[in-house]
Amino acid sequence: MKRSAAITLNANMTPMIDVTFLLIVFFVVVSQIVDRDVVPLDLPAPENAAAMVTIAENTMVINVIPLSDGSVAGIVVGPHTIGTNEMEKLSSIVGQGLANGTSEVHLRADRSTQYQYIHQVIEAVRSVGGNPRVHLVVDMEAKL
Amino acid sequence: MIDVVFLLLIYFMVATEFRRAEASFPMDLPAEGRNIEVMLDEEPLVVLVESAGRFTRDIRVQLEGPWDSIQSLAELKKFLRANRADGFGSGGLFTPEHPILIRPNRETRWEHAVAAYNTAVQSRYTNITLGKP
Repeated sequence: MKRSAAITLNANMTPMIDVTFLLIVFFVVVSQIVDRDVVPLDLPAPENAAAMVTIAENTMVINVIPLSDGSVAGIVVGPHTIGTNEMEKLSSIVGQGLANGTSEVHLRADRSTQYQYIHQVIEAVRSVGGNPRVHLVVDMEAKL
Repeated sequence: MIDVVFLLLIYFMVATEFRRAEASFPMDLPAEGRNIEVMLDEEPLVVLVESAGRFTRDIRVQLEGPWDSIQSLAELKKFLRANRADGFGSGGLFTPEHPILIRPNRETRWEHAVAAYNTAVQSRYTNITLGKP
């Protein structure tokens, strides 16, 4: 009787590892984009900023989109875009966020935006109640 | 192996690009229905801020009340530091918890409002609020 030769089965792992790495990279990158719902803005960069780097889980980011004359084109909060005359809508979005566990509100605004518009946003957050903490976001890479 | 190295390279390039150097100033807001001015037990030190131009350095600050006149952020910092009461024996007028109300006018650029806020934080005061324009 003929003895069968020992057969060693080798799965080629290399393509699988490649694909796995690609998936890891993809998900890491995508989750960062989704997490940081951040609009590119020219943030204020005070000299020797005494600001702190905060890493909080439940933050809501309010982006105030500037126009070149110092006024505001709109406000972006996550997927919502709010007009400048719809501050009640902003309050209700912040209120929903607070009800869903948001603990901090980050306010990102362009350095050239006039304070009157930013004050409206601060007032809208304040009117929600519940004493949310507002963080004024600044750029730490001082570009002067 | 080259594959893996390339992947790591791409990963770190992308990751560093997304990590922006951002930091923030925490600011507590008074509850609804209460005016910022009314909720304060003590008379706040009011700092008026306005923009004199389009550049970071074009900022004008002024103290409301019977204080020495100040012009620049450097003078504001000097004033705040000189008048901070650090425990027993210091000649300061304001405790670190003394309310400071930064009040930019309507047209003040946001960077100037933040710069004034930063100056108060640098001078180690803890109760700083942005007020009505």
